[in-house]
Amino acid sequence: MILSGWESVFFWVFSIAAIFAGLLTVMARNTIHSALFLISSLVSVAALFILLHAEFIAGVQILVYVGGVMVLFLFVIMLVNVGSEERGAEEIFNRPRQVTVSVIFCALLVAGLIAAVNEGYKGFLRRDGSRIDSAAADAETRNQSLEKSATGSSRITNDTGRLGGVLYRFGSLPFEIASVLLLVAIVGSVMLARTLKQEAAVDDLDPDVLRKEAAADPELAEVQTETAV
Amino acid sequence: MFTFFSPALVLLLQEANAGRLATVWQDAQHPGLSKFLTIGALLFIIGVAGVLTRRNIIVIFMSIELILNAANLNFIAMSRYLQDTGNVNAAAGQVFAVFVIVVAAAEAAIGLGIVIALYRNKETILIDEIDILKW
Repeated sequence: MILSGWESVFFWVFSIAAIFAGLLTVMARNTIHSALFLISSLVSVAALFILLHAEFIAGVQILVYVGGVMVLFLFVIMLVNVGSEERGAEEIFNRPRQVTVSVIFCALLVAGLIAAVNEGYKGFLRRDGSRIDSAAADAETRNQSLEKSATGSSRITNDTGRLGGVLYRFGSLPFEIASVLLLVAIVGSVMLARTLKQEAAVDDLDPDVLRKEAAADPELAEVQTETAV
Repeated sequence: MFTFFSPALVLLLQEANAGRLATVWQDAQHPGLSKFLTIGALLFIIGVAGVLTRRNIIVIFMSIELILNAANLNFIAMSRYLQDTGNVNAAAGQVFAVFVIVVAAAEAAIGLGIVIALYRNKETILIDEIDILKW
């Protein structure tokens, strides 16, 4: 997986974009700007996935993260009031002492992780060093046997097909569990985000709480009598 | 100005003398597994820093998404490396990335539901003002 030529140029462009967009996500004062920077970071990482020949994951990343999760984030940001933070009335970071300790912790963590990655990669090279070149040649011959794309400039890979095979052959039970997890998440978030009125309408409210709230809010009492009838 | 930069300059000269600068340049032209893992580590750290320093709970959620995404990048880079060194059936890393994305989506849905319920009751989304266990 040694990249070369234009691939390495794209690697540096997209990785630097991902890191700067990630930094700006954390540092932006406006929460909407944070969300948009996170979107650009996710898109850059999706481009890195394409460089790693994981086209399906890149597509899923764009569709699910950028198209689904981030839109959800933007809706929630617009539902809650973050104005005081944007106008500068509220501090966006924790107290200075907490921030100092966190930054020191993160600096140590990044030094440790990068040292560990370099040492580990040396170990990998010792183990696979002789195989890497021949494996690259093998990958090239395998690539040559693939069908050409319509423009003739590249080959149609079968990585996505292989991923599907592995996913449904060896990961079918986790796949089903994941679908149940998503169902639970949908039901749970709908239950959590209900208003008091919606809870009263389906008679899912503690009677004491309802009596107290209905005294302050006559509309709530109306909802309750409607459902009682 | 010069005194400020001189240590870096000395270091640069030493590296150049040892011929290591050429190797660094060579490595930069041919990024391999270690570069991808380093980018993943940096994204992870940025996410951790966001969780630890920010007050806005929505930005904290977004930092968690960054962390999960960095983990995905590591999974995919390792999967590609293992496939390229002869382990042809090593698509398991990509399968794992799919599950990470699924769990991230579920987590975001539940977390943002909690944020909305919390905002309705407390009128704030700053975590240091949400400090009670019982209403």
